[in-house]
Amino acid sequence: MNVNLSDVRRSFGKNKAVDGVSLELGTGVFGVLGPNGAGKTSLLRMLATVLPPSSGEMSLLGRDPGASAARRDIRRRLGYLPQNLGYYGSFTVVEFVEYFALLKEMPSPAVPKAVAAAVERVDLGPKAKAKLRTLSGGMLRRVGIAQAIVNNPDLLLLDEPTAGLDPEQRVQFRSLMRTLGQGATVIVSTHLVEDVGAACSEVALMADGKVVFRGTPDELTARGQGHSVGDAPLERGYSAVLAEARP
Amino acid sequence: MSALSMPLPGAAQVLRLELKRNAVPMLLPLLAVVFWFDTLSTADAFPPVWTLRASVIGNHMLFDFGAFAGGLAAWAGSREGRRKTLDLVATTSRAAWARLSIALAGTLCWLLLAFLAGVALLYVKTALEATWGGPPLWPVFVGAAGVTVVTAIGFTAGVLLPGRFTAPLVAIGTLLLDQAGLHAALVLSPAQGTYAVLSPAGLPPMLDAGVYYRVPPDVSIVRVMLMGGIALALFGVLGLAAGIRHLIRVGGLRVALRALAGRGDDVRLRMTAAVLIGCGIAASGTAIALAGTAQPDAAGGWMIPALHSAASDRPIPVDWDCTSAAAGAGVRPAFQVCVSQAFSFYLHPVASALTPVAAEIAGLPGAPAGAREIASVAGGQAVMSGITGTPPVFDFTADHVGGVFGDFYGVGMGQAFQQGMLDAFLARSPPHAGGPAYVLPQFLNVPTPLGAAQQAVENALLAPFGWQPAIAGPAAQQWQGPALAGILAAARRFGALPASARHAWLAAHLSALRAGTVTPAQIP
Repeated sequence: MNVNLSDVRRSFGKNKAVDGVSLELGTGVFGVLGPNGAGKTSLLRMLATVLPPSSGEMSLLGRDPGASAARRDIRRRLGYLPQNLGYYGSFTVVEFVEYFALLKEMPSPAVPKAVAAAVERVDLGPKAKAKLRTLSGGMLRRVGIAQAIVNNPDLLLLDEPTAGLDPEQRVQFRSLMRTLGQGATVIVSTHLVEDVGAACSEVALMADGKVVFRGTPDELTARGQGHSVGDAPLERGYSAVLAEARP
Repeated sequence: MSALSMPLPGAAQVLRLELKRNAVPMLLPLLAVVFWFDTLSTADAFPPVWTLRASVIGNHMLFDFGAFAGGLAAWAGSREGRRKTLDLVATTSRAAWARLSIALAGTLCWLLLAFLAGVALLYVKTALEATWGGPPLWPVFVGAAGVTVVTAIGFTAGVLLPGRFTAPLVAIGTLLLDQAGLHAALVLSPAQGTYAVLSPAGLPPMLDAGVYYRVPPDVSIVRVMLMGGIALALFGVLGLAAGIRHLIRVGGLRVALRALAGRGDDVRLRMTAAVLIGCGIAASGTAIALAGTAQPDAAGGWMIPALHSAASDRPIPVDWDCTSAAAGAGVRPAFQVCVSQAFSFYLHPVASALTPVAAEIAGLPGAPAGAREIASVAGGQAVMSGITGTPPVFDFTADHVGGVFGDFYGVGMGQAFQQGMLDAFLARSPPHAGGPAYVLPQFLNVPTPLGAAQQAVENALLAPFGWQPAIAGPAAQQWQGPALAGILAAARRFGALPASARHAWLAAHLSALRAGTVTPAQIP
């Protein structure tokens, strides 16, 4: 198992952002759905080793992220796309991706090739030498994805990866996620249920810091039968589960 | 694979990116303009004496570079916070301390490169004009340490308090810090404390500093130690940045200690950072303690006893540059003027100014047969010019014949030498101590106060050279109205006499004139 969480909690003051989440994930694309404030981003930040859990046990890629040497090793094999991607406007696309490849301590000789491959995979080859400040929001999102995948991560965490992408790019990106999921654990946090339906083999739905549903997209769809809220079958499943979870 | 085509190590590649995308090069043209109009133009106004020209590094160049260095470093340091990449970079395996250090190095490399290029330009210009000596290195070390510490301060401020306004605030703060340093230096005296020697900015040194005596490196060592210590401590602070940022956000002692102990890089790195902070504080503290022991030295500078080498106190053997002493057209040998080779550039202007005045008084008792430059400081006392020896020689100092500082290399230089020699001749004053050399030495050289008749004679003797000295000194206040008119009238009468008549009158009345028993009315 690449991800093993046992009763993981994270609080900010009195606010319980993540409240007793347990997960075991191997390779594949795993979707995390939930309304705003459900705890998705906090969960991803803990998985990204940015945020230590308040309690509970975590094992990532077979190691304990609480130990600094293990954490460093996990980070070498980790890719992360945050919800709000910060970027350095004066860097070019290639430089930005190269910068993160080097920060992930990739072997120097392998960096140029890996950067070129990552940039091509997100279809930014023609813009490789463009300064980031000249790119559109969608292109910046793709740059963020490129930096996340440049080291061929074993654990890839994507927070709202398709936000800002046009429909064609979203289709391409779902395909990319499926490909990456064949050899790595890809965790996608999103509020776009169609992304989950198209790319994820498994999905968890969070509400108030807890996982209130876990199963395949088809199982989630099935939970929506007879429920009227939502345009698409998966959306109806999503709404039905959330409605059941609310007190 | 050749050594050149081998890929750089990862850290070096990150540094390459930091150098390539640094903000410093964008502001270099503006920095160059400021440097040109402040540092370089100030240096150009000084005589081409190495120590004097090098003093602009601390007094002007650091001031010019400080605001840029602080602001640009704060801009670089605040990048992750400002651009909201903190989470993203936190998930990478390279230690945060290493990442920040590389970013700091990128900015520092550019700033030091710009600084050294400025120093090179200053020194090349000086080398083309100077007639003696070589470039002093300690001002460069102090300047480089100054640029480094300001960069470290700015960068650390940017890392800990990231924001859009951090950079301009740091730039303004650096300007104020420079000003405060300069002000501290201006009140430098043993009575008011010697800690001001820690400021790299201060008064320009004596004009002949480094010519007759070496400039001891004591104070420079202490300055480098202080600034290096601060920079080292701040570098250590960067190793604890994650914890300190948390502390700033959350506050509270318990939270602070937990944050410092538990956040950021691994514990060995954090311990190393803590050790560096300790070493930096110790170095700076030692420098401050040493500065407290500073004493004025014999050559007009400052020495730190614990660091002082007695070799610095030995006079430098003077290489003289003299005009010819061979007999001129008359019976007497020519009036010979000698200066240190460091001042060769003004030998002929000085000789041209002094020779005709010397001719006016030649043959009179105590009239100088030559002129010689001497050190402007002896035993810690500023030396005032005078006439001494047999045959008499006018001993002048570069500092004290030149009147106020700005006159030295300007229009007034020849006039000041003429007046200085006549002052000494009429008042019969040998070289004498003018007070502690570290107290605003440039302003000690006011014209020698003369009596009313002496002043009238001096004015008359200088009239053929097209100028009249301003009547100054303590006696000037009593020469109001009729007294002043009497002096000026006597000067006009005496000046109108043929040279031979003036010479004859002086030969007959010189002793009385020097004794002050002649009144202006008695002057023919």
